[in-house]
Amino acid sequence: MNRLAYFIATALFLTVPIFTASCGGTVTRDPNVLATTLPANPPTLNPIMAADETSSEVDGYIYESLLKLNNRTLEREPQLAKDYDVSPDHLIYTFRLRRGVRWHDGTPFTADDVVYTFEQIRNPKVDAANLRNYFKDVKRIEKVDDFTVKFVYARPYFKALEIISGAPIISKHAFDNGEDFNSHPVGLRPVGTGPYRFVEWKTGRHIILSRNDDYWGPKPAITGISFKIVPDGTVRFELLKKGAIDMDSMRAIQWVRQTQGTSFTDNFTKHKYFVPNYSYIGWNMRGPYFNDVRVRRAMTMLVNRDAILREILLGEGEVVATSFYKFGDQCDRSIEPLPYDPVKARRLLEDAGWADTDGDGILDKDGLKFSFTLIIAAGSPLQRSMALMLHEDLAKAGIEMEIRQLEWATMIKLLFERKFDAAIMAWAMPLQQDPYQVWHSSQVDEGSNFLGFADARADRLMEDARQEFNKSKRNKLYREFQQIVHEEQPCTFLFQMPSLVAVAKRFEHVIDYRLGLDVLEWKIGPWPKLIEW
Amino acid sequence: MFTYIAKRLLLMIPTILGIAVITFAVVHLAPGDPASLKAQSASEALSSDRMTREIVEGTRALYGLDKPLHVQFAVWLKRIVTLDFGTSYRDHRPVIDKIGDALPITLTLNILTILIIYIVSIPVGAYTALKPKGFVDRASAILFMALYSLPSFWVAMMLIALLCSGDYLNWFPIVGFVSDGASILPWYGWVSNVAWHLVIPIACLTYGGFAFLSRFTRASMLEVIRQDYIRTARAKGLPEWRVAVRHGLRNALIPLLTLMGTLLPALLGGSVIIEQIFSIPGMGRLGFESVLARDYPVIMAIATISAALTLVSILITDIMYAVVDPRITFGKR
Repeated sequence: MNRLAYFIATALFLTVPIFTASCGGTVTRDPNVLATTLPANPPTLNPIMAADETSSEVDGYIYESLLKLNNRTLEREPQLAKDYDVSPDHLIYTFRLRRGVRWHDGTPFTADDVVYTFEQIRNPKVDAANLRNYFKDVKRIEKVDDFTVKFVYARPYFKALEIISGAPIISKHAFDNGEDFNSHPVGLRPVGTGPYRFVEWKTGRHIILSRNDDYWGPKPAITGISFKIVPDGTVRFELLKKGAIDMDSMRAIQWVRQTQGTSFTDNFTKHKYFVPNYSYIGWNMRGPYFNDVRVRRAMTMLVNRDAILREILLGEGEVVATSFYKFGDQCDRSIEPLPYDPVKARRLLEDAGWADTDGDGILDKDGLKFSFTLIIAAGSPLQRSMALMLHEDLAKAGIEMEIRQLEWATMIKLLFERKFDAAIMAWAMPLQQDPYQVWHSSQVDEGSNFLGFADARADRLMEDARQEFNKSKRNKLYREFQQIVHEEQPCTFLFQMPSLVAVAKRFEHVIDYRLGLDVLEWKIGPWPKLIEW
Repeated sequence: MFTYIAKRLLLMIPTILGIAVITFAVVHLAPGDPASLKAQSASEALSSDRMTREIVEGTRALYGLDKPLHVQFAVWLKRIVTLDFGTSYRDHRPVIDKIGDALPITLTLNILTILIIYIVSIPVGAYTALKPKGFVDRASAILFMALYSLPSFWVAMMLIALLCSGDYLNWFPIVGFVSDGASILPWYGWVSNVAWHLVIPIACLTYGGFAFLSRFTRASMLEVIRQDYIRTARAKGLPEWRVAVRHGLRNALIPLLTLMGTLLPALLGGSVIIEQIFSIPGMGRLGFESVLARDYPVIMAIATISAALTLVSILITDIMYAVVDPRITFGKR
C-alpha cells in the first residue's frame, strides 16, 4: 500500500512537467516584452492617490507630468509642457502645453486636464493628503487658454517648480463623470498620455502594459512590460535565475555571493545606482539619555560603521555624514563622519557625568542607569544584525541597550507619539531636499522632527534657504546647516544604500544613470526562445 | 428537529454579534492606524516630509476614524446588516470584491489539498489498523510524523531551490497558478498548465496533513474492529475486505464527522506562508496584508464571514450526528 502510494506520488511528480510539455501546456514568452516584478499589489493606479512605490513604478510608464528629469544632467526638461516662464518674484509659473498629445483613449490633452488634476489634488475629499500637503501654498490655478496654464503661489518657495511640474497629470474626461474620485474605476484601469498603455491588472498576480503606438515622443523598443507581483525576495531572485523574469533588484548577499557563476553572468548584467536615501540611528533628544550633545557624540563614536558596512552590508553601501543625498549638489562632502573611537567616547560620557558609581558595570548618573531601548522594524534582518552588533559595542562601554523589534505599524505609532529612546530608521528623499519638515523646530511636536532637534540658527538657515532661488547661494546655506547638525549629532548617520539590479542580457543599451535605469531607451538583441513560466 | 435548528440559528445572532464586538475592539486597540501608515510608502524607508499630523488627521477624517469607537462600530453594524462590508481603506475597492477575487483561488487550493489528504490518509489509516505494528504501520507512522514536523516555509524554499530554480532542476514554475497568456492554449493545454503550476504548492500544503488524519482513522478503526458485530461478520464467512470496508471502515468514519465541522472555515482560510512564498493572491495573503495595513473593513469582513461559517458548520456537524447515528436525537427529552 505504502509502496504503491510512494510510487504514484513519484510518478505524478515526474510526469506533470513531461505531460505539460508534451501536451503543449507551455506558452512562449515574447522577447520584446520586459518581465519584471513588484513586491506587493499596488493599492491603486490612480497616480494622485498613490502613496507607495509599487503604484508609482507602474504609473511612471503610463502617466506623465509637465516636466521630467533629465537622466544625465538631473535638470528638468519639457514633457507635457513645451516651455515655461517664472515671474521675477517667483510667484507666478506659466506653462505652455504641448499640442497634439492624445490620451490613450484618443481624446486630446488640454489645459482642462491640468487644471482638473490640481483641483483634485487640492480637494480635501480626495484621499491624497500626502500630495496635497505640498500644494498648501498654491493660491490659484488658472487656465489662460486651451494650452496655457498659470499657477500662482502665495509665497516664494525654491521647490515650487519641482512640485508643480512633477505631479502626474490625469485626464479630466476619464475621471469627471460624476463617480466618486477615490473609488473611480479609472484608478484601476489607468488612462494616461505616457509611452505605455494599461492592458490588464489581475489583483495580486500581474499588471500588463503595452507600448502606446500613438505616443507623441520617441517610441520605446520594448513593446510591453509585465509586472509579476511577488512578495518574497528570495522567490524573486529564483524567478530571475530560472529565466521567468528579465529584471529584478537584489539584496547585497545575492549581489556579492550568489551571482558569481557563469550561469548567472552569461544571462544577466548587473547594475548599481543610488536612489537618494539614508539610514540612521535617531537619538530622542527629549529623553534623559540623549539631551546632552556629548552623549550623542559619544554614541556616534561607539557605532562601528565600517565594521557594519563590511560584515553586514558586505561592502554595498556608502557611509554618510549628513542628511543630504551623498551624490547630490546639496551635500557637504567635506564633513567627515565622527570616527569609531570607544576610548574618546568613554571620556565624553565621563565629561557628561555618566560614570559607573555602583560598580555593576553599567554607567549611571544621578541614580539613573544608562539603559535604554532601541526600536527597529521587524522583518529587517539587516537592522537586526546592526542592532546586535551595536548591543555588543555599547555593553563594552558600560551602556545597556535593549532591542525591541516592532511591527511597522506599531513602530510608526511610537515614533509619532515620540515614545522611544532610540530608533534605527531610514529616510527616502527627493533629489533636491528641503530639510524643513524633518529638522525645523516648528515640526518637533506635529511634524516629522521625531528626534526633537531644535536649533535657532539652523531654523533661520532653513527658512532662508526655502526662499533662496540661487542654487549656489542656497547650497551654501545648507552647508552651514549641515555643519550645525554634524556638531549636534541628533542622530548617527549610517548609510546610503545602493539599488542592486540585474537585467537580462538580451536588452542592450542599458545605461546606469545616477538615479536608475531608463527602460524607455533600451534596445532588444537576438535571443533564443523564452518560456512563460 | 425543526424547532431545534431554528433555536440554534437564532442563538447564532448574539454569538456573531459578540464575536464582532471583540474583533472590532481588538483590531482597533492594536497599535498603529491606517492613516499614518497610508502616509508612508509601505517599505522600510520613511518618506521624510509626510509624517505630519496634518496629513494623518486629514486621512483619518476622510475614513471616519476621527469619530469615537462606539460610533464607528454602530456605523459598521448598520452597514453589515444590509450585507454591505464597506470599501477597503487601501484601495477604496468594495471589500466584497476583494474577497471575491481571493476566495476562488483559496477554495481551489484547499479543496484539492483536503481531497488528497483524505484519499491518502483514510486508506493508510484503515490498512494500518488491520495490520497494527506491521511494516506499513511503522513506516507510515515514521514517514508521516517526519513530514508533519517539517516547517512548510523550509520545505517550500527547498523545493523551489531544488526543482524550480536555474541552479539545479528547472522543472516547475514558482509563482501563480497559470502562465500569463495561457488562455491561447487548447483546454487540455490549459489544464496541464494549471496542474504544472499547482504541483509544488499543493505538495507543500498536503504533506503535513497526512499524519493527523491517518492516525485518527487508525485509532477509530482499531476500536471498531474489536466490536462484536465485526466478529459476527467474520463468522458469517464474509470476505475480509468486505468486513474491513463495509462493516469496519463505515463505522470507523463516524468520528471523522466531528472533523467536518472544522472543514468549512478551513476551506476559506488560506495558508499565509504558502500563499506568500508562491505569490498566490488568496485569502491568507489578503488577510495578512490587511492586518499589516490596518485595513479595518477587510479584517472585519473576513473575521465576520469566518465566524458565521464556523457557527454554521458546527450546527451542520451536530445535525449530521443525528442523521448518521440513530442513537442521537434532538428535541426529545
